[in-house]
Amino acid sequence: MGGPVSQSILVVGGGMSGMTAAIEAAEAGYEVFLVEKNSYLGGRVAQLNQYFPKLCPPYCGLEINFRRIKNNPKIKVFTLATVESIAGQEGEFDVAILQRPRYVNEKCTCCGKCAEATTMEIDNPFNYGMDKIKAAYLPHDMAFPMRYVIDPALVQSPEAQKVKEACPYDAIDLDMQPQKIELKVGAIIWATGWNPYDARKLDTYGFGVYPDVITNVMMERMASWNGPTQGKIIRPSNGEPPKTVAFVQCAGSRDENHLPFCSGVCCLASMKQATYVREQIPDAKIYIFYIDIRAKDRYEDFYNRVKEDENVIFFKGKVAKIEQQEGSDQLVLRVENTMTEELHEIAADLVVLATGMEPTTATEPLPIPVAYDDYQFLPGLVVQPGIYAAGCVRTPTNVAEVVQDGTAAALKAIQSISRR
Amino acid sequence: MSIKVDPGLMKELEVFGLKDAKKCFHCGNCTAVCPLSEGKTPFPRKLMKYLQLGLRDKILKSPEPWLCYYCGTCSEKCPRGADPGEAMMAIRRYLTAQYDWTGFARRFYTSERFEIVAIVIVAILVGIGLLIFNTGNPDWEHARLNSVWPKEKIELADLIMAAVLSFLLLSNAYRCIKFILGDMLWRIPFKYYKAEFKELIVTFLTQKRWSKCEDKMQWFVHLLIMTGYSTAFLLVVGMIRLFQRDDIYPLLHPIRLLGYYSTAAILYGCTYALVGRIRKSKSPYKNSHPTDWMFLILLELTTLTGIFIHFTRLLDWPMATYALYVIHLMVAVPMLVLEVPFAKWAHLAYRPLVLYVMRVKDRYLEAEASEVPTDETESEIKAVT
Repeated sequence: MGGPVSQSILVVGGGMSGMTAAIEAAEAGYEVFLVEKNSYLGGRVAQLNQYFPKLCPPYCGLEINFRRIKNNPKIKVFTLATVESIAGQEGEFDVAILQRPRYVNEKCTCCGKCAEATTMEIDNPFNYGMDKIKAAYLPHDMAFPMRYVIDPALVQSPEAQKVKEACPYDAIDLDMQPQKIELKVGAIIWATGWNPYDARKLDTYGFGVYPDVITNVMMERMASWNGPTQGKIIRPSNGEPPKTVAFVQCAGSRDENHLPFCSGVCCLASMKQATYVREQIPDAKIYIFYIDIRAKDRYEDFYNRVKEDENVIFFKGKVAKIEQQEGSDQLVLRVENTMTEELHEIAADLVVLATGMEPTTATEPLPIPVAYDDYQFLPGLVVQPGIYAAGCVRTPTNVAEVVQDGTAAALKAIQSISRR
Repeated sequence: MSIKVDPGLMKELEVFGLKDAKKCFHCGNCTAVCPLSEGKTPFPRKLMKYLQLGLRDKILKSPEPWLCYYCGTCSEKCPRGADPGEAMMAIRRYLTAQYDWTGFARRFYTSERFEIVAIVIVAILVGIGLLIFNTGNPDWEHARLNSVWPKEKIELADLIMAAVLSFLLLSNAYRCIKFILGDMLWRIPFKYYKAEFKELIVTFLTQKRWSKCEDKMQWFVHLLIMTGYSTAFLLVVGMIRLFQRDDIYPLLHPIRLLGYYSTAAILYGCTYALVGRIRKSKSPYKNSHPTDWMFLILLELTTLTGIFIHFTRLLDWPMATYALYVIHLMVAVPMLVLEVPFAKWAHLAYRPLVLYVMRVKDRYLEAEASEVPTDETESEIKAVT
């Protein structure tokens, strides 16, 4: 009887589902390797302003998880790391991980002297490029690990030495090299999540052409106190608060030319964002253009609550075109009211495209052949013996369900290694 | 008013080319993306709804199918692949069959075999007719068509054909606008029809609304076929005495130039459409009904045989000229007699007429509303709009 070669679990993706899976497995006594592509844990959730339906900030939940990870010696975290190859089978996978250099070691105290020392700025990926940050930066205020990152471009630049010397703790190591790490694991949990669908592909909506057309994930950043506008909802074109905000549902979703499926959360996300606008700009008028409102089970209460607001107009009809007329600074949305068969051209100051969730596996599949569903999601909790899927890489869903998914995947992984 | 629902309507329209309309989930994208869709006559989603609900009477009364020029933008942008552009086309075929009181059009559209047999029969009759009715004394020395079939006789046959065609087409066109306007057709005073008459002519000649569509090529190609065809029709029907001459005009003679223009325009337009349909190069060419093919093939063959006759006449080959003339007419006559009143070509009457009567109606209703601005009139207007 061949016992398992390895009793450890690899979790790929340090977002909500991956963190949950890692913590649950580690707290059950298993050794876990948590691999995250970004320089910080928390994934898309860290970039949210509030959760629906309770409208509370995600940082408190994240903080608890970060502490559980920090206090648990069974979890080994690799940030800036990707899985390069997987070989073997259930119980004995050989995994190669590539870790990119952070150029900052564990001596970092987040004093920020390195950022002060540099003049180089880069697009801030955490804010979807809506603002710039110094090339020596803390990814976000609650980053875990709480440690600065030096952008490779800065390391290459003549300023590098100056930045290194500015650090009073000798925390900057310009000679850090990419590292290849080889692990032997018994089971793998794939939790790499999703990417917002590329709004540039929606050629009639003018995203990337008109600055006042933004996406829902950008709206989350804009409404966040630590976002590009310190939480102020404004029109990117002129910095003024918008008087009319239009939410365009199914921007690419339920559309055979783009994402044929419903992501299930965008309706609720837009309703939530409508509450952000209403709170900040009390007389703002809000349109939510939809095909069907998807607010299942108890979320219907949230829908009903938002619907009571007379400044929020639920408008049944898919927006076909967004254009800015010459000489006008407003955007005009062409849409049919499908209840009355009337054609409308509705002006708005700010348009939020409710883009859906594309699984990361659509662009970055697993480095081992596995099955996918029609839309490139992993086909189910059990991908194949020893490999399990958790979170939005399995199905588009909300944070609460992703947490349950992480727990389920942890149990599956534990069963996989302990039954051998 | 009771509403009749016919659950079999979509099934019935399948033979007219309806395929994917059942996939529509009524997001309204097609109507909002359509550059021709307007406030009072939004389309195509409204028609998709009528199809799915089986509202046959509503479809019969709808002007919208004739306001659509099938640029295909709605189908390209449809999130469901419900192909609303093709559904509008299928409805136009269905309506052509409905407008025709003889029942011939219906057979034509619903049976490919019937269509082919009808064309072959007319072709054979034309062939036999030309072999029986001629001077019996052809000029075998030189290619002189008038020595076999004198232009005066051909002109007479032309005029008889034109009269029959016009009668059939106009009576069908009357049914078309009667379905759409109902009792209003006679209630609207004549002055409104007169006021908009110029619009009818302009639309008939230019299809200018089509130029609002994104793909301008479709409009241009159609304009080539239309002007080329109209020129040829005028030359061979109205001006046959000038056109069918035994001595060939000098190269730059206006009649000869008109002939060249119409030949080149039809040949280019028709070949473009045929190649497009074979390659399914764009949305309006993706689904071809047998009647679409028949129309283009007959037109292409008529043009090609016409070109051949021109060359045999230039080469002065009598036998080849006379034989090709018979073949040319065996293609051209069935095309005209069958396609114009009963099939695809009938749109030449329906499209401009529907646009025209809708404008007349709008103008009339506007005038009514401004003359007597009482609640009663307004509610009446709403009821008929």
